[in-house]
Amino acid sequence: MKSKLSHLLLVSFLFVITSAKSQEYYVKSNLENLEIEVGEVFEPSTYAVDQDGKPVSCPQIVYYNKNGALNSDDGISVSRRRGTIKGEEPGNHKVIALCLGLVDGWLGRDFDVKVSYAKAKDLSVKLDSDQVFVGSYVQPSYEITDNFGFTRYNANIKIKPSNDNIQVDALNNIKAVKSGKVTLTFSLDAVETSIDLKIVKNPIKNLVLSSNMNTARTGDVITFRTMAYDDKNQLISDLPILYSYSGESFDKSNTAAAMIRDDGKFVAETAGNYLITATAGQRSTSIPVVIYDRGIQREVINVGTGLVQERHTSDFWVFEGVDKRDYAVSGTWGADGTTYFWDVTDPAQIRKIDSIQVDARTVNDVKVSEDGRISVISREGASSRRNGIVIIDTTNPYDVNIISEYTTNLTGGVHNVFIYQDHVFALSNGERFYVINIEDPKNPYEVGMFEIGEKGQAIHDVWIEDGIAYSSNWKHGVYIIDVGNGVAGGSPSNPVVMSNYSYESGAHHATFPFKSKSTGKFYTILGDEIFPQGIDLYSTNETAGFLHFVDFSDIDNPEEVARYELPGHGSHNYWIEDDVLYVAMYSGGVRIVDISGELMGDLFRQGREIGHINTGNPNGFIPNATMTWGAQLYKGHVFYSDHNGGIGSSKVLPIKPDNSRINEYLDRPRLID
Amino acid sequence: MYRVLLAFLFFNFCYSQNYYIYVAAESDDTVSVLKFDGETIEETDRITVGIMPTENEGPHGITIDPSGKYWYLTLAHGSPYGSLVKYSTQNNEPLSKVELGLFPATMEISPKTGLIYAVNFNLHGLMRTSTVSVVDPEYMVEITKIKTGIMPHGSRISVDGKSHYSVAMMSGELFEIDALELSVNRILSLDNNSKYRNALHHSKIKPTWVSPHPNGKTLYIAGNGSNQIFVVDLESFSITDTLSTGEGPYNLAISPNGKFLLATLKSEGAVSIWSLKNNKFLKKIKNTTSVSHGVVVSPDNKYAFISLEGVGGEPGKVDVINLETLSLQGSVNVGKQAGGIAFWKIEQ
Repeated sequence: MKSKLSHLLLVSFLFVITSAKSQEYYVKSNLENLEIEVGEVFEPSTYAVDQDGKPVSCPQIVYYNKNGALNSDDGISVSRRRGTIKGEEPGNHKVIALCLGLVDGWLGRDFDVKVSYAKAKDLSVKLDSDQVFVGSYVQPSYEITDNFGFTRYNANIKIKPSNDNIQVDALNNIKAVKSGKVTLTFSLDAVETSIDLKIVKNPIKNLVLSSNMNTARTGDVITFRTMAYDDKNQLISDLPILYSYSGESFDKSNTAAAMIRDDGKFVAETAGNYLITATAGQRSTSIPVVIYDRGIQREVINVGTGLVQERHTSDFWVFEGVDKRDYAVSGTWGADGTTYFWDVTDPAQIRKIDSIQVDARTVNDVKVSEDGRISVISREGASSRRNGIVIIDTTNPYDVNIISEYTTNLTGGVHNVFIYQDHVFALSNGERFYVINIEDPKNPYEVGMFEIGEKGQAIHDVWIEDGIAYSSNWKHGVYIIDVGNGVAGGSPSNPVVMSNYSYESGAHHATFPFKSKSTGKFYTILGDEIFPQGIDLYSTNETAGFLHFVDFSDIDNPEEVARYELPGHGSHNYWIEDDVLYVAMYSGGVRIVDISGELMGDLFRQGREIGHINTGNPNGFIPNATMTWGAQLYKGHVFYSDHNGGIGSSKVLPIKPDNSRINEYLDRPRLID
Repeated sequence: MYRVLLAFLFFNFCYSQNYYIYVAAESDDTVSVLKFDGETIEETDRITVGIMPTENEGPHGITIDPSGKYWYLTLAHGSPYGSLVKYSTQNNEPLSKVELGLFPATMEISPKTGLIYAVNFNLHGLMRTSTVSVVDPEYMVEITKIKTGIMPHGSRISVDGKSHYSVAMMSGELFEIDALELSVNRILSLDNNSKYRNALHHSKIKPTWVSPHPNGKTLYIAGNGSNQIFVVDLESFSITDTLSTGEGPYNLAISPNGKFLLATLKSEGAVSIWSLKNNKFLKKIKNTTSVSHGVVVSPDNKYAFISLEGVGGEPGKVDVINLETLSLQGSVNVGKQAGGIAFWKIEQ
């Protein structure tokens, strides 16, 4: 008892001493109120002072940038070896100084350091042309080199015209207002440069605006063309044309919303009367267009459900069996490694017919070979920490059997897989994918590997079509890889990158290639996966993100042209057939979207949604909580898996007769038969 | 005054003590708070961690701030890097997060520097030299990454807080890092393979844990592959003794009074206990489920708490071992694949 008391007293005493000691010192440094220039290297001097103000040296001092010590180009970089800091980007930054070893526990302080651009040493100004029309704006480009040799392309440059032929406003917009000559003087710090400019009268006598349609539906892309002629009726080429629109919605409580691009492409989101205007200098001309509602909504009904009540469901795959009946396989998530097999021949009577359990907590992905004989499932959370894939004989889906498992290089967990021509493409640890030959499914072996080779490389999914792999790599975007098509010399053992496209959010989670039947264009549809509020495993979750439509018709110059964004709900997996998109929008259910014709702008707001169905099940793992994981069109039915409910089937009903006359002259395409 | 203090302490000792523990469930993305009253152990809270409901982020390492105000959790998986998250013990709400390396795992806070030292286990990646991340927990910024060996694990700090120790599972090395200088101080090849230092040679020993003795003179290393525990003398930085264990020793703990050494036997689902007075084996105790993982001893040296992973859909568990009777005292279910375990506090 005595020893316990002594121990407790000692511990208490030490705690008080430690706490008091840490508070006795205060860190001081010449970093305080420091101002340095971009490129400047500064050697700080830091020490501690005791409660009497007496300086005490620190046994060890560590500096770092509060925005990230290992990110050298973010404001300020720190050389710990030299004990110096360096200005990298202008702005107000924080540098932390830690005084290590003087007291027990943390002792440090943050200092505000201002980084400014160094004085300009050289200023270069370029114009597209030394001649402009009256009424036009001049758009110079700048290149500034500073005293530390850094180059930048923007600054608060002073612009002074030699006469009033040019007007410069407070935002440095330069407008030619009178014919004649002018000299523009550009200055920054002590550097100055001048450019002579000739302002000429606008030669345009006549602007002619035309379009390929004068009535259209919301979502239809209209192309406008503008021809400019001089007073001799000669065509003037290469003139910059500015397009704009005004409009009035048929629905008086709604805005006439639309989008028009510099190339004259116009698409409306709401039905109404629009006026399209083309402007060149002081000349402009307009033509009206009428936009009608797209009017494609159809009823979607739930046909059947395959309930999974006791655990979360993950991905699924519907396939035709060897016996020509129809089956599905579905995985489970965060559970006990169970995979279910279903008979879905009658989509209204989905029946659970077999299951298999493997050493895993999550079977995130399931796929079936084209002939229906082999299923491959992914494993995560194996107790042996050797995850890999499991190959299953599905010749008789009523009695499935494990043929083999394969774990080499896949121990870190396989999140997604794809089967293509006797090869499994399996993700490894979210970093790369391996290609495994399963011609002899009892003896699978690795034939190839692909990784993007970037720092922080991460992969989430891979999809194969026509020997081309579409690898979804989060912040690094989609990689299009020849893995057997041969167009770029690739093969399963020698994947060859053909193209890449990434976007700012960095949330790229899945890719589906889409060859538009109606236009011939080739897109990749890139889906986000975002949970903005984090997670709650036992309740509904907020989801975000959308589908990015990237025109890959020119594979070397991909262009993002449209999006499908459902307000309040984020995207997950999806399927495309006959210019119709079937997308699992997590809490937003399955959405069926018309993606026919040219695509541009916000497809949801254009009324391109045909219908939707909520997939929550009142008897589900979380009752009535729709969390649609995937969707697949199969033999006329829209099948889906729901994280909280299992699998199900739905049907898009035929178009109801439209007795109104409002769209009678529109040639409405048939979407789904 | 002294009498008043004694009376106060006596009053407190007359009442039972509650022990609080945090344990992470790697395959459920949850952390459980456990309370043990000397008789029974119960789960008082289960916190969902991570940010992606459809991805398994794998909470692995867990440690408590010396003040008891915060707990820190490593999430093994990200895109692709894992992270360290700071939580308040008051309400178990996350406060801040910082990205680390691949599969950040075990960690500890140095009482000397106040910094966190976390190994980047990189368990499933290509066999490459990995690092120890040093994090300032005040600002939650990774200050530096210190290169060590292949698959570093078992991040532990010396009692004086001046040294950090970890072992590299695949290169079979012990690393001593100067916690103030933030650089590697000494390296010991356990496979006697110093000629090819840091090279992948699939260490036969497969060290998975290192535990410094409170006396500051020795440390103990779990040889998961060789079924041994190595005793290392810190002055000579050499192996001075080995203890034979059962199958797959994984994590180690030494009681704060330096009396007991405990090793989880991952492959057996058991825990073995030695007396460190003479390195004498005392007892092997079977755990209540399979895949024994972590072990932590209460500051009063009375109890050890063992995390157990289980298999597949089985729940994880935490067993309580009474170190006075060397017997199983209790057990409680937690999330799947319970791993990282940390002692929070004793409450009167």
